[in-house]
Parts: sequence; structure tokens; C-alpha cells
Amino acid sequence: MAIMEQQSKLEVEDVSLLVVVIDLSTEQPFLQDDKLSLTHYLNAIITFINSHLMLKACNRVAVIGSDYCRNKYLYPDEKNKLNIRQTDSQYEMFTLVEQTIRNNVKSFFNDDSSKDDEDEPSKLPSLISGAAALGLCFINRIEATFMSKDNLNSRILIITGSLDFSHQYMSLMNVFFAAQRQNIAIDVCSLEAELKLLQQGTDITNGHFLLVPSANLSGLVQYLLWVFLPEPPLRKHLIVPPPVKVDYRASCFCHKQLIELGYVCSVCLSVFCKFTPICMTCHAVFKSHILLPKKIKKRKVNSGSPMSVSGSMRSK
Amino acid sequence: MDEEEGNEYRWESGYEKTWEAIKEDDDGLIDSAVADIIQKSKRKRQEERMQNARLGMMRHLILVLDGSDSMLDQDLKPTRHLCTLKIIEGFIEEYIDQNPISQLGIIVTRDKRATMISELGGNAKKHIAALKEHFGNQSSLSGEPSLMNSLNLAINSLHMLPAHTSREVVFIMASLTTCDPGGIHFTIQNAVETQLCCSVIALSAEVYVFKKLCQMTGGKFNIILDDKHFRDIVYQFVEPLTVSQQKEASLVKMGFPHHLNIDEKEAGSTLCACHLDSQKPPATIGYFCPQCHSKYCELPVECSVCELVLVSALHFAKSYRHLFPIPPFKQLNVQETSASCFACAKLLKSQDKYIYECQRCKNLYCLDCDVFIHDSMHLCPGCVSDQNLLTTQIDSPPNPS
Repeated sequence: MAIMEQQSKLEVEDVSLLVVVIDLSTEQPFLQDDKLSLTHYLNAIITFINSHLMLKACNRVAVIGSDYCRNKYLYPDEKNKLNIRQTDSQYEMFTLVEQTIRNNVKSFFNDDSSKDDEDEPSKLPSLISGAAALGLCFINRIEATFMSKDNLNSRILIITGSLDFSHQYMSLMNVFFAAQRQNIAIDVCSLEAELKLLQQGTDITNGHFLLVPSANLSGLVQYLLWVFLPEPPLRKHLIVPPPVKVDYRASCFCHKQLIELGYVCSVCLSVFCKFTPICMTCHAVFKSHILLPKKIKKRKVNSGSPMSVSGSMRSK
Repeated sequence: MDEEEGNEYRWESGYEKTWEAIKEDDDGLIDSAVADIIQKSKRKRQEERMQNARLGMMRHLILVLDGSDSMLDQDLKPTRHLCTLKIIEGFIEEYIDQNPISQLGIIVTRDKRATMISELGGNAKKHIAALKEHFGNQSSLSGEPSLMNSLNLAINSLHMLPAHTSREVVFIMASLTTCDPGGIHFTIQNAVETQLCCSVIALSAEVYVFKKLCQMTGGKFNIILDDKHFRDIVYQFVEPLTVSQQKEASLVKMGFPHHLNIDEKEAGSTLCACHLDSQKPPATIGYFCPQCHSKYCELPVECSVCELVLVSALHFAKSYRHLFPIPPFKQLNVQETSASCFACAKLLKSQDKYIYECQRCKNLYCLDCDVFIHDSMHLCPGCVSDQNLLTTQIDSPPNPS
């Protein structure tokens, strides 16, 4: 009954825009260990995208491929538009989406021009933050063509098997805050690990985080259809995995440890777990009224080096 | 939009010139021309924003609102008062959202007096509620404003703050007069000595003493043209100001509390320290101060028991974008191109007048994406799609000098 009411609110013309970010890094552990082949992985995603397009005739989709050195649109491809004719009575749109994605994935792997000259591929994780930023720009472009933003539900789904995105912290955070302001949900489907940073993102933007158990990777399509197919307004009526608990403690810049009590530089907002006289990040010299008496005491005990240290600090 | 341009008075140049600048496009519409003008002024401001400048990240800003009867004038629609109210409400939310570890206070001056209607704090809802209660009613507007009284009140509440924070006062004045009980120049001198940065937004015309105040304290004096311009000026104060190099730096002790959900059967629900006096029902979820274990339902907050500032890592992440602004893109005037926008995959056609290029990653962007990237995302998608540029971006910290 409740779903019926909700659906009457969701107008028939409401369009759902889905941006899928696919991690195409060959370094993903599930590809390395042969738990899931690339073909199987792509097939699952294409099936999911087709199901999304099947829900409503006006639903839109964009697909972005990402690896450690570039991000590229796989669909839509406005430069080389395929001319699709109906073949085995399949809906033309499905054939178009599938063919475009497959062609572009092929060229994604063949086009090595942008990769580094070194022969061995980098172990760095994919540039997911850039891909999600592209997704936001794409959503912004589509939104501009709609008279009222209420008619468009947009979301981003990130499917990744990479392990650690901590070096993209700042850019990912910017993406999450931008998505939050635009009311765009970011969903993450992780194939390998509990990605703390991306969990924060799903928490900020009211999206879902799902870790597919490594034993069940071959059933990826089922997980995708089950959790990520319903649009965010419909999800509250469904029983989906409970939201993950996210830890928002800061980690200190000096030892990279999570802390509860810390010291923050007033100039660059670096976090330290202990008091330091000079900020390691921006080299600002801190004045401290608490520290001074200690220094004087030291000077009395041994008149040698500590004096020159404290003296040089103040003169800076 | 810019008053300093040329030596003519505004009423001499008038509206004719603005209309001359507007050209109809192929469909006979002027929308694109108007958007163009707004776009140009935005770009100008972007370029003014210096990189690697030292910013006052922990801000304390006091808004002084004119509550005199000159707020009732109808030159802004529907009245100056309602227009201001609407803009200020939006500003408070934006300010708190963009500067999560900063604080805001509101003073209203009417009947020759000044009252603090909302003490310095970081809770947008509280400020807006206070604003509606004390400034929302038209009938409360009466008498004359007092610059001196409100300035004194602002000095009193700001002078005790630690030296590393920025102390800003923004006056929104509709009246052309001020009623002061003593010599205003002494008060201005006082403000200079307490290192206040006072800015005035005048709703009617230039007033000597307001301008003098801004000059002495290093603030900006603005006169509004219309409601859109008013909004534009007010929203400039969302961005943190650059501060002098002599400003002290210090390490501030802060707490990063856990978000805990105590099992109801185990400990039962408890009241939070921030809502002791209100009717909020006890809850099991809350943040606990790592120093004294008092409970709060929202962050950021200053612990009312041990005065520790409690924040979460997210608040810092939000502030970092001020420290690492993305440089403005270079405008290219390309006639024919087969390229597509890097960010949104739109084909760049000849009818797109301008194409923008990021100077770091050399990717091309369309106008819409340029605006979106600089206004909302604060992140160049091209630069973060390149492993080398990504790492250099993080390694270059803001320069303190």
C-alpha cells in the first residue's frame, strides 16, 4: 500500500539517470586471482544497465571507465555513434548500449598511449575520484536540459575491486560534498574490501555501500539488481542491507593514527596527536603560553643547547 | 556591476550602457548576454583570489543588521527588510556549511541601541530561529541605528577571542544616519586596535563615516545596485579572507568524538548536554566528548562542560577546499573544433562561444562545466584523472608567508 502511494508521487515522467563508474584496472585482485573473469564482470554490469533502461523508457545512463592513469566515457560516445538496426528482435537501445560499451572497453585497453613508458603496469588504485567528478559534470549537464530538477533522480554507482583510495582523500571528499549539495546519491559496490573512505561517501550522500562476499562474486549481477536497481526514493520501502557504521575520527598527519584528542594548526588545519612547536605541513611557528615556563626551567638545568633551540624558534 | 570603473557617476552612465552591452543572439533572446555579464564578473573574482595566500580559517564573524525604520523603504522588493531577511537566511546556512569550524553572531541595532540577538556560535538553525524572532517582524523596526553602540558590542564580544582567529564584522546599513553617544572616531580607533575587520554593505548611498570605518579596519565598503547585486555581495563573505602574515598561529586542542550507539538494554537512553533545557526526548545515539564524556547530538559543538571544541574529520575536509582553490581556466576562442568537453562528453560546437582549458592538465571544458567545477565541485576532473597531477596537488601545502 505504501509503495503504491509512493509510486503515485513518483510521476510517470520522472526520469532516472544512472552514472556507472567501472573500475577497469587489471590490478584488481579478483581479476588476478581468476575469481571472476573480465567478460563475466562486464556482462553482469551490462545486464544491470539494461535492466535499469528497461524500468522506464526514458531512463538515462552513462558509463565511465577508470584505471590508474585515466578516466574515459564508455557510453555515451557522441563522436562515433553506432548505427544500430534491430537484429534478433532485441530493443535497439540495449544493442546500442552494449555494443558501445564493448567497443570502448576494447579501445580502452588497446589505447596505451597515455600510459607511462615503463613496461610494468602500476600497482596504484584507479582514479575513482576523477571518474565520479566526470559523473557529476554529466549529471549537471543533463539536469540543465530539464525544466524542473524534481523530475530527475540522479545517482552514481561505483563498482570497484581496488583496495585503497586514501591518496585521493581530498578529491574524493570534494566529490562527496558536491554530490551532497546536488542531492545525488553515491552508491558503492566493492568487490574486495571494506573501503572506509567510500563508506564515508555513501554515508554523506545517502547512498548504499555493499561488499560482495568474495565467495559469491560470480553472482555479481544478482547483488547489483537486488541492491542498486531501485532508485533512492523507493529504497526506504525495501529491505536492503543496513547502513554501515562510519567512523569520522580524524587521523593525525604525523603518525597516520586515528585519534580522539588532537591539536589542530590554525593556519592549514593539519591534525597532530602531540604538541609540536612548528607545523610540519605549512611551517608556521606556534606561539604557546603553556610551553614557555618549561623552557625556562630547562635553561636553568643545562645552559647548553636547548637555549639555542628555543632561541632560534622564536627568532623565526 | 563595478562601481570603480571609469570616473563617471553611476547615474550618468545609467542603464543605457548596460543595454548597449547586451546583444540579442540568433533567436532574438538576451538570456545568453545577461548570463555572459554575470559570468564575466564571476571570473574576475576567481582571478582575484590568490593562491597560496594565508587565510583566516577559524573565523568569527558578527553580522550587524540595521533595524531602523529606513529598512521599511520599498526600493528593494517587497521591502528592504524582507529582502535582507531572505538573503541573510541563505547566507547563514551557506556560511556555516562552507566554514564548519567558524562561528557567527548577529547584532541588531534599532532605536539608538544595539542588541546581540544571537551569540557567537556554529549552529545555523539557532541563528535563523533568533533572526526570525527578533528581526522577522516589520513592526519591530523603528528609530535610528547606532554605529557606535553596535561596534562597541562587537568589540566586546570579539576582543577576548584567541589571536589566531579572524575577527570580522559585517554591517548591513539601510539608514543614512547614525546616532552615537560619543566620538565615533575613538570607537573606530578601538576597533583597529582589536584587529577587527569591518565591512559595510550600504543599501542606500555612500556615508562618509561607514567608508572611513572600512578604510581604517581594512574591510570592504559596498553599495548595492539591486537585489541580485545585494545577494552577490553578501555571499562574498562566505569565502574566508586573507589575513596578514603577522597573525599568530597556534595549535588548537580539539576533540574528535566517536559516534556511539549504546545498546538500549544495556545503558538506556540519556539526555544530551546541548538539549538539557528543551523538550528533546532522550536518545541512545550521540557523540561523547573524549575529555569529559558529556553527550552531544550534533557536531561541531563546543563542549559546555570542559570547553573542548568537538569536530569530525568531515568538517576539516570541507574547509580544505578554501586552502586549495583550483586555478581559473584559460578561455580559448576556438572557431572550429571536433573536440568534446572532457567533463560532460558534450561535443564542443562552434556555437559554444567559449571553450576553457585547464592550465595544468590541458583538458578542454565547456562553459557549463567550467561554472560547475569552480562554483560547486572545487575540483578539476582532469587533474584528478592523472596520477602525477593528483599527487602534486596534495604535496603542495598552503604557504604561511
